[in-house]
Amino acid sequence: MTKRRELIIPAVILGILLLALAILYWVDTAGSLPSFIPGHEAGSSHHHVKHGIAAAILALGAFVFAWFQTEPKRQ
Amino acid sequence: MDPISYFQAAVLGLLQGVSELFPVSSLGHSVVLPRLLGWDIHQNDDYFLTFLVATHLATALVLLGFFWRDWLRIVRGLGRSLRDREIARDDTDARLGWLLVVATIPAGLVGLILEHQLRKIFASPQSAAAFLALNGVMLYGAERLRRNAPVVDRAGPQGDERIAGRLSFRDALGVGTAQAVALIPGFSRSGAAMSGGLLVGLSNEDAARFSFLLATPIIGAAAVLKLPDLLGSQGDHVRGQALVGGALRGRDRVSRRAVPAALLRDQPPHAVRRLLLRRGDRADDRLRRHLKGPRS
Repeated sequence: MTKRRELIIPAVILGILLLALAILYWVDTAGSLPSFIPGHEAGSSHHHVKHGIAAAILALGAFVFAWFQTEPKRQ
Repeated sequence: MDPISYFQAAVLGLLQGVSELFPVSSLGHSVVLPRLLGWDIHQNDDYFLTFLVATHLATALVLLGFFWRDWLRIVRGLGRSLRDREIARDDTDARLGWLLVVATIPAGLVGLILEHQLRKIFASPQSAAAFLALNGVMLYGAERLRRNAPVVDRAGPQGDERIAGRLSFRDALGVGTAQAVALIPGFSRSGAAMSGGLLVGLSNEDAARFSFLLATPIIGAAAVLKLPDLLGSQGDHVRGQALVGGALRGRDRVSRRAVPAALLRDQPPHAVRRLLLRRGDRADDRLRRHLKGPRS
């Protein structure tokens, strides 16, 4: 598989952002979420736990992708 | 009064056990049957979904038991690739494992994000019946595809090696997207995934095997996610029934043995016909060996 080292940092940043989003979904109620985030419902006290799991899975995917790009070059 | 009786749970468990691995949507049938029999079950209520998902746990366990050697190889392969930070070309298990991971993502994400909306819109007997009919159209399309599918070259790479060599990660994403269609009650998961496999160029046998391997993570994850509901207040009055339904579903030997072999031998319509003629029950060793893949 072709290694694309230039994608390591973007993938890690994306992973961190997605992880932050997951935590936001778990901690905040749907009413407290910023309006630009999917799942925002004004006045709702519901926690979007599953949205958080989805974001965490995507974050994990980004980290795994970055991990595979870090393979040392072979002689 | 319990929202679902033990008798109803037993009937639904048996129905799901028989229909799960046929490409006929066990979920769709579970939504339609109560209405056909005039049962006072509210399919939009949380307890019904909790009951259904709890019974799916039995399916996931049966599948895990059936394919446990394969999963052991695949998980080892995944570990190897993470350790080496690459998916080696000759590491079939690692590549197959990542193909399964990628193919599980679409249904996993759509299920996590849109489950509530999908249930609100589609979990009625009327829409399930309509989608069951559309599932028939999809299976007909799959049957047409099967006629054009490549024939397995017995002299070439075998089983999983052939799947890992043939499928790209983009193809796996395509198969996974097809599988996500089955989140709508009425569409069959195995039928959709097999059709997706045929569309991306897998042979009949390989599309069926990939579809069966794909079943375990997605069904298992859905069941595990719903377990807290079953153990919490939503599970009040349905825990015992879920246990009965799950036990009957898991005990069903037809779906555990004959159906996968019959589906490998033929595509859905022929497989169903063969099973109805009680011929699928005599799954020969060669097919079963292929279904279960190479032993390491």
